[in-house]
Amino acid sequence: MHDPMLDEVPPEDQWQVDLGQVGLFRRVLNGRRWYGVDWWMVVISSFMVAFFILIAFFPTLISSYDPLEQVGPRFLPPGDVPDEEVIVVRVDSPIDSLAEFAGEDRVPTGVVQGAPSSEDIRSEADRVTDELAAEGSDERVRLKIVRYETLDEMLVGVTDKEVEFGVASSSELAPLMGSYPELEISGPISGEKGGKSFPLGTNQIGQDVLSRLAWGTRIALIIGFTASLFSLFIGVPLGLLAGYTGGKFDRFFTLIMDSLYAFPGLILAIAIAAVLGPSIVNVIVAIAVLYIPTYYRIVRGQTLSTKESLHVEAAVSIGATKVSIMRRYIFPLVIPSVAIIFSVNIADAILTGAALSFLGLGLPPTTPDWGIDLARGQEFIQRAWWLITFPGIAVMLIVLAFTMLGEGLMEIFNPKLRKQ
Amino acid sequence: MTAEILYSIRNLDVEYDTRIGGVRAVDDLSLDIYKGEIIGLVGESGCGKSTLGKAMMRTISSPGHIVGGELWFEGVDLMTLSEKEMSSIRGNRVGMVFQDPMTSLNPLMKISDHLTEAIRTHYPKMSEAAARARAVEMVKDLGIREERIDDYPHQFSGGMRQRIMIALVLALNAALIIADEPTTALDVIVEAQFLDLLRDLREEFELTILLITHNIGVVAELADRVAVMYAGKVAEVAPVEPAFLDTKHPYSRGLLRSVPNIDVDNQELYKMTGAPPNLIAPPSGCRFHPRCPYAVDLCTDDEPRLLDVSGDGHLASCWIYSDALHRPMDPEHV
Amino acid sequence: MHPLTLTFLIFGIPALIGLTYVYVRGSSGLRSYTTTRILLTIPMILILATVVFFVMRILPGDPIDSTLGPKGTAEIKERFAEQHGLNDPILVQYGRFVGSVFTLDFGNSLIQSQRPIVDELGERLPATLEMIIPATILALGLGIYLGTQAGIKRKSAADYSSRIFSVMIYAMPIFWLGLLFQLIFGVWLGWTPIAGRIDPTIPLDRITNFLTIDAIITGNWVALRSVLAHLILPTLTLGLVLSGVFLRLTRINVIETNQEDYVAAARARGINQGTITRRYALQNALIPVVTLIGLQVAILVAGAVLTETVFAWPGMGRYLIQRILSRDFTAVQSVIVFFALFVAVISLVVDILYSLLDPRVRY
Repeated sequence: MHDPMLDEVPPEDQWQVDLGQVGLFRRVLNGRRWYGVDWWMVVISSFMVAFFILIAFFPTLISSYDPLEQVGPRFLPPGDVPDEEVIVVRVDSPIDSLAEFAGEDRVPTGVVQGAPSSEDIRSEADRVTDELAAEGSDERVRLKIVRYETLDEMLVGVTDKEVEFGVASSSELAPLMGSYPELEISGPISGEKGGKSFPLGTNQIGQDVLSRLAWGTRIALIIGFTASLFSLFIGVPLGLLAGYTGGKFDRFFTLIMDSLYAFPGLILAIAIAAVLGPSIVNVIVAIAVLYIPTYYRIVRGQTLSTKESLHVEAAVSIGATKVSIMRRYIFPLVIPSVAIIFSVNIADAILTGAALSFLGLGLPPTTPDWGIDLARGQEFIQRAWWLITFPGIAVMLIVLAFTMLGEGLMEIFNPKLRKQ
Repeated sequence: MTAEILYSIRNLDVEYDTRIGGVRAVDDLSLDIYKGEIIGLVGESGCGKSTLGKAMMRTISSPGHIVGGELWFEGVDLMTLSEKEMSSIRGNRVGMVFQDPMTSLNPLMKISDHLTEAIRTHYPKMSEAAARARAVEMVKDLGIREERIDDYPHQFSGGMRQRIMIALVLALNAALIIADEPTTALDVIVEAQFLDLLRDLREEFELTILLITHNIGVVAELADRVAVMYAGKVAEVAPVEPAFLDTKHPYSRGLLRSVPNIDVDNQELYKMTGAPPNLIAPPSGCRFHPRCPYAVDLCTDDEPRLLDVSGDGHLASCWIYSDALHRPMDPEHV
Repeated sequence: MHPLTLTFLIFGIPALIGLTYVYVRGSSGLRSYTTTRILLTIPMILILATVVFFVMRILPGDPIDSTLGPKGTAEIKERFAEQHGLNDPILVQYGRFVGSVFTLDFGNSLIQSQRPIVDELGERLPATLEMIIPATILALGLGIYLGTQAGIKRKSAADYSSRIFSVMIYAMPIFWLGLLFQLIFGVWLGWTPIAGRIDPTIPLDRITNFLTIDAIITGNWVALRSVLAHLILPTLTLGLVLSGVFLRLTRINVIETNQEDYVAAARARGINQGTITRRYALQNALIPVVTLIGLQVAILVAGAVLTETVFAWPGMGRYLIQRILSRDFTAVQSVIVFFALFVAVISLVVDILYSLLDPRVRY
């Protein structure tokens, strides 16, 4: 008896044939039709992550200033052109440079009380002295600062030859100069600074906020990546071992890991960082310890469930060794979840790192770090909003990028993981 | 057949929205259910039989939705009712028993709460005590001891829970019970007990039961009529004997014969080739033609209609029985 | 009454009532589960105490040197060590420390006043609790409400906006959120004070060290107003951050519960949508949320430390940071162990609560 139904080989579905023919790039691109929002999340966050990594390698692409140098006036708001500090002199006695006063005894110099000009002119005098010293001269520029109540009083003082010259900001001088015909503005106190604007402003010591942000990316990523890798390399093997061998070993480590997991990680990191002292390596160690249990729990859980699966039992029955079962049969199955956790973990580590340095426990205080900048910025919250705004946005964006990447991948590859 | 029609499905379309397009799980389906019968609805997994069950109660939830059609029950088209009016029919006149009794009861509510809640939802004037009395009566009828009524679902076995699910339907005066794979989760002995119970209850309460299942044996044993579904459509509807002994549709033959029969020795188990079609892009013409050994050109082009092929209520949708292509099936192939 | 006693009563009484209920009404399985759970808390605290103790001792950095600074001569150092038992063998010190975990007698602070640490904690703990209790309530209310709305109306505008909210809140460093609030509400709008617990010029008798309670007891309404105004920003900061966590949990659980068979079955029985949402979907969805509150205590405590630092709030977290910066290691290890106790007690209470809510565990 012949039945045509028995003969027919089921034709391979067309989509399987199609899939075999397209390249990886095309496949990823087509994923957006199937995975929708999650696909977009992964793509956008991948670009963000790539962008941050690029900045971390080449911070100067964003801003060419040295993050540790004073490059502009203090507290310059974002995008503002700074007021120049200018020197006002009598028309009959012009000055080219402070160097003209070298060797003279305490040149009387007029400033307005409370204005930053007195400090600026002093540091300019020191700079000129240093220059002279470099040329071999031992003469110094010494100024005698005379403080006036108002700008008008100072200008009268200059006119009356009470002082050799006065220092004030150009914007304040401009409306008054008309009433003092015998005075003129000689020029900025120094040719170097002034005139430049900074896209995100400057901080309390005249450093460029943007370049500190760019260099901070490097610190954040170093902390995030190394701390997460460190906990991964400890947590994953321990989880595999505990899950696979079971027994006392498993119970002992699970108890420790659960205790660590339940305890507020930040507090523990604070304790460790405090004892170790401020340095980037210590911060990494302190954070790494926190996240070992995260990997341990996930890997142990998955090992426990795959241990029972048929392919592992089959391997046991043909006499595979424990090590090779763990390495070849179980480990490959936990890789996707570990990769996802790793991404989310980097975000957490960066957050914790920022928190530690915000508390003043993480890094040496001069490091261009977002947490440190935020802590410093808080002192000046009344007068410089930009000091706390931008580092915060940077932390948020980088954390968002890594979290979205992890979550999107999780949704695509292993939706069940989400609950844990 | 002169029996009164209790529930009539007319040209029903149900669609599920997916990321890559709409899936027609039920496509232009019509079916009559007669009063007092047990009708078995069989088909492969994913053929739309469970969807049909839910659609009959209008409980399809997003991403699925009923696109069109009429659902006539007791002289009313249910599709025209408001959600509120529909609620009063659900449970009250049409009850549903689900596949897995282990998950069909709220784990946080006592059995008594489930019952009294259902009773008082449909009879708001009934007092709490009266509702409870009725619940107790119902549970006792189904062979569960009265004192267990205040237990929680997890304290019952699977078979007992399925009886409670029945009690939940019977506590009201349901005319039609839609039982969606009611025995799949039960073991064989409990299944047999449960089927006996169902048969008894049908006598006692004059129930009409739509039994959705992929267990052909259960249908053969219990049902009066059989409806075979394939890819969202009805392939064949027939009283139980002709359905098994004089199967008309090529697909039904494959399905009904894929069950081993211990009465026949040396029986070659019938394997059906291919897989159920992709409902996002269903095959043209007759949806079964890619797997059908009798397919001809007409089958790829035009869709056959469900016709009475023997003049006594045996319906099949296959071109073989139409005038356009009058070619009786070769009895050798049976 | 010692403020610490008061604090322990707040958590101890519900824990005791719960425990009694479990032991009287629960099944034998539940009783043994609870007993195991309590017994497991002890090694957990011990492990943490041990880790903290040895981290403090073994890692580089000498507590005596760092406390006394360069001016400490050998003689002063010796006397100091003797006074604080730092010369004893390390195991003796360890034993004493572990004992202190259970007696709550942590010894005296190494610096300044050299007051008993437990007294200092007694002043700080109410400040922390006064902030985190309303913050937790805010977080639970907001998180569960938004999470439920998002979970029920999946893919609606409400769902997407709550998801965006929870993702943003998750990515936002809590201390930065605090700073933003200070900047916006304190500096720009001038609506609220930005630091401290109370306007220092307003006199208020400290009785319980819960300033709201003190103000109400003494009928000092001016002080109450000031205390509440100071509470707004820290509570809002901590509460919002926590609410993001609860929102996510609630949403996922509501979505999952809505797909359960018993919800479909209830719908098929004609139970109306309101009852289904309340009695079937929500109740079942919130039980796992309750268990997860236990795990969120860690986030709560970490958040509290940062919030206190931002708002100069004189609570436990700020005390910890101050003592770390002044290198008072006795105080530091005591605070950390105290946090461990706190976390352990809360998660124990939550676990017992869970067993009371879920009949599957109870019977």
